[in-house]
Amino acid sequence: MSLETTVPAAPSQQPPKLPPFKALISRLAVNPLGGVVAALVIIFGASCALSPHFLTTFNMVIIARALAFIGLVTIGQSILMILGELDLSVGAIGGLAGVVGGILMVQLGLNPWLSLGLCLLMGGACGLLNGALITQLRLHSLVLTIGMAGVYGGANLVATKGVAITGVPRDITFLGRGLVMGVPVPFLVLLVCLAIVAFVMLRTPVGRYIYAIGSNPDAARMLGIRVNAIRMGAFALAGFLSALAGILMVARLGTAQPSIGDTWVLGPIAAAVIGGVATTGGIGSPIGAVLGAVIIGIIEDIIVLFGISPYWQSVVSGGIVVLAISFDALARRYLNRDAV
Amino acid sequence: MTVLQIEAVRKTYPGVVALDHVDLTLEPGKIHILAGENGAGKSTLIKTLTGLVVPDEGAVLIEGRDALHDRTLFEKVAYVPQELNLFGPMTVAENMFMPFNRSGFGHLTVSRRAMEKAAAELIKRFGIHAKPGQFVNRISVPDQQLLQIARAACREEFKVLILDEPTSSLTANETEHLFRIIRTLRDDGCAIVFVSHKMEEIFALGDTVTVLRNGRSVGTYPMREMTEDQLIRLMSGSSVPLEEKFQPRVVATESDVILSVKDMSGPGFSDASFVLRRGEILGFAGLVGAGRSELMQTIFGYLRSTGGHAFLEGEEIPKGRTDRAVALGMVYLSEERKHHGIFPLLSVRENISLSVLDRMKRGGIISSARENEVVADTIRQFDVRTSSAGKKIAHLSGGNQQKAIIGRAMARRPRVLIFDEPTKGIDIGTKFQIYRIIQQLAEEGVGIILVSSEMTELQRCASRIITMYSGRITGSFDQATTDVNTLVGAIIGAPENRHVA
Repeated sequence: MSLETTVPAAPSQQPPKLPPFKALISRLAVNPLGGVVAALVIIFGASCALSPHFLTTFNMVIIARALAFIGLVTIGQSILMILGELDLSVGAIGGLAGVVGGILMVQLGLNPWLSLGLCLLMGGACGLLNGALITQLRLHSLVLTIGMAGVYGGANLVATKGVAITGVPRDITFLGRGLVMGVPVPFLVLLVCLAIVAFVMLRTPVGRYIYAIGSNPDAARMLGIRVNAIRMGAFALAGFLSALAGILMVARLGTAQPSIGDTWVLGPIAAAVIGGVATTGGIGSPIGAVLGAVIIGIIEDIIVLFGISPYWQSVVSGGIVVLAISFDALARRYLNRDAV
Repeated sequence: MTVLQIEAVRKTYPGVVALDHVDLTLEPGKIHILAGENGAGKSTLIKTLTGLVVPDEGAVLIEGRDALHDRTLFEKVAYVPQELNLFGPMTVAENMFMPFNRSGFGHLTVSRRAMEKAAAELIKRFGIHAKPGQFVNRISVPDQQLLQIARAACREEFKVLILDEPTSSLTANETEHLFRIIRTLRDDGCAIVFVSHKMEEIFALGDTVTVLRNGRSVGTYPMREMTEDQLIRLMSGSSVPLEEKFQPRVVATESDVILSVKDMSGPGFSDASFVLRRGEILGFAGLVGAGRSELMQTIFGYLRSTGGHAFLEGEEIPKGRTDRAVALGMVYLSEERKHHGIFPLLSVRENISLSVLDRMKRGGIISSARENEVVADTIRQFDVRTSSAGKKIAHLSGGNQQKAIIGRAMARRPRVLIFDEPTKGIDIGTKFQIYRIIQQLAEEGVGIILVSSEMTELQRCASRIITMYSGRITGSFDQATTDVNTLVGAIIGAPENRHVA
């Protein structure tokens, strides 16, 4: 083979001089998290300017606590999306885990911590079942998980007959309501989970394999990557995190509501897309996805602060979500307009 | 008389000059060959001819009129891309006439009967083995290729037909058939542009040849005055020793079996048994569809076997487990670079390091320092031309993607390596680089299987050649003592030629 050198070229040419605004946009567009961070800064800044009640400790605690549940589900969903999969039963798994927790703790009087562990295991097992069916029967994840959402959601109603289970023990409610140094416990749980998952995604072989599978699953198998095992693992993780969110929600409410998790399906997907995760797989990161969830959380909060009519709330929040995901595309078009 | 002419066309992309003052004149009734290595500017030139690329400088004249101003003139140029570009879940007839505005199938409704009747004629004319109402994803790849050509050629108004490597998935017979069609079109007065890397095709078909090198036109010559040697020299800018052989110089010993396959059966082949020795280059010859790739993918665990066993140094490779095959030291390089090779969304660095991540972790964490080291080594050693390791691999040329993938496989230090058509669509300079890599590996003791449809490639590299016909192994021949006719007989299934060396 030739010895012609192909050492990576020195940073090519002087960066062309851009007007400051364009330079900022350009820097944001290059960084994969740039789009979501920019959108977050703008929305946060606008919220501070618009409402004096926004940047208060009280309000921040509310946002952080609300964010925790959606955030946990978002982490799991974003990994599945990077893999090129989707799980529409995460909400149902969260709800089922919550009521199973309630039954174990209240009706059967089991040790709360043991119950919690069992619920998490059950959530993981539900996710694993999804993954096993998808990989072994070669089903499309979207269709299968719609069906499984019905199964898990139905099991929830069978177990509870639609009635909430009250009287959750006190040592558990701390997990949902407590503050540690002013920070809500569920939010801390979210941060810990996000840190672990992000580390695995960015710095370990398994994380790389996940991106590789999302980019080209056939080529991944050709390289000897255990594609199906990783897929099943990711579904199990998503189920586990949903169950964690479900049980934390029970702890926060003090009752196991059968309706927990009903709204956890589309929000996390939107959050992941806002955060730069491609719906086609291979691109994005769980950090971006959670930042996307933060954006949605702020939007929903500011709508309440403004006292916008509840009928209009979803119109406004949906519209802002569309704006946020457009940022990336718009920035790129703006930069390319007179490039080349 | 000219039908299409481009003058001093220049096109630059950030950091590259793709075309540098290129001239080209196409005459009706002539087959014009475009030759050049990967990255010489052929694709950009073709895209300029079809109007997909607007040049920075220069003129494009179609029938003497400026096509850059009147873009409807580009409708006279029909283009058949190299990659299949059909609607799989639609019928042959629908594919042919998409978007249904060509020959009066109604403006609001589509008459299936009229369309299928018109399609039947074209199917006959182009010798496609399909019915008008058949779904395209149910017909064979060669037929799809012909359909694609028929689709381009069924437009009445075209004056120029551009074919970009149309034979890459055709067998010899189908190629001959296609050539007859191309010659008919030429005799009807069509100007044809033909791009191919295969010398025999260029010489069988061409009237004129234009050679491109590094974005410049080296010249246009009548084919009659051209020899193979000359053409290669013009393309590469230096002479490539055509007679060079790449058989490993160390002879494999009988006892040194590294891979043994017993009675393997799977999709498209059955009862395959053979052994591979350490340091040997074992060629697999056969027609497209003889089951060679399927056999290899089944041994590797990518496809499921329906019977038989494969042992790598005595250890059985479990069925359907590519991860076990890789762990045992086997690597398979697919001919489908796009589908089975590259990870388009990932960088060159990530693409290369992916195969060896498990070996460069410290305490479970990928060590960036070691990763960068391995990647830089691979890029240097395999001459992967990229501006940086962080560039997305999808932005590299085909030849450089292939070198990156081979480098990735090598970084794994395999004991058995299967190359499936490693030089498909690769220019001759890079081809020889790849042969040298294969030879060097064999001499280091790696067992190598080389699946190839090019007889010259097998004769140049393989020490032993196994032939397959219609899903069965028909013979095993010592390369040095077997003539081409015997091999060809075995791959087309002539029974009298069966013997085992």
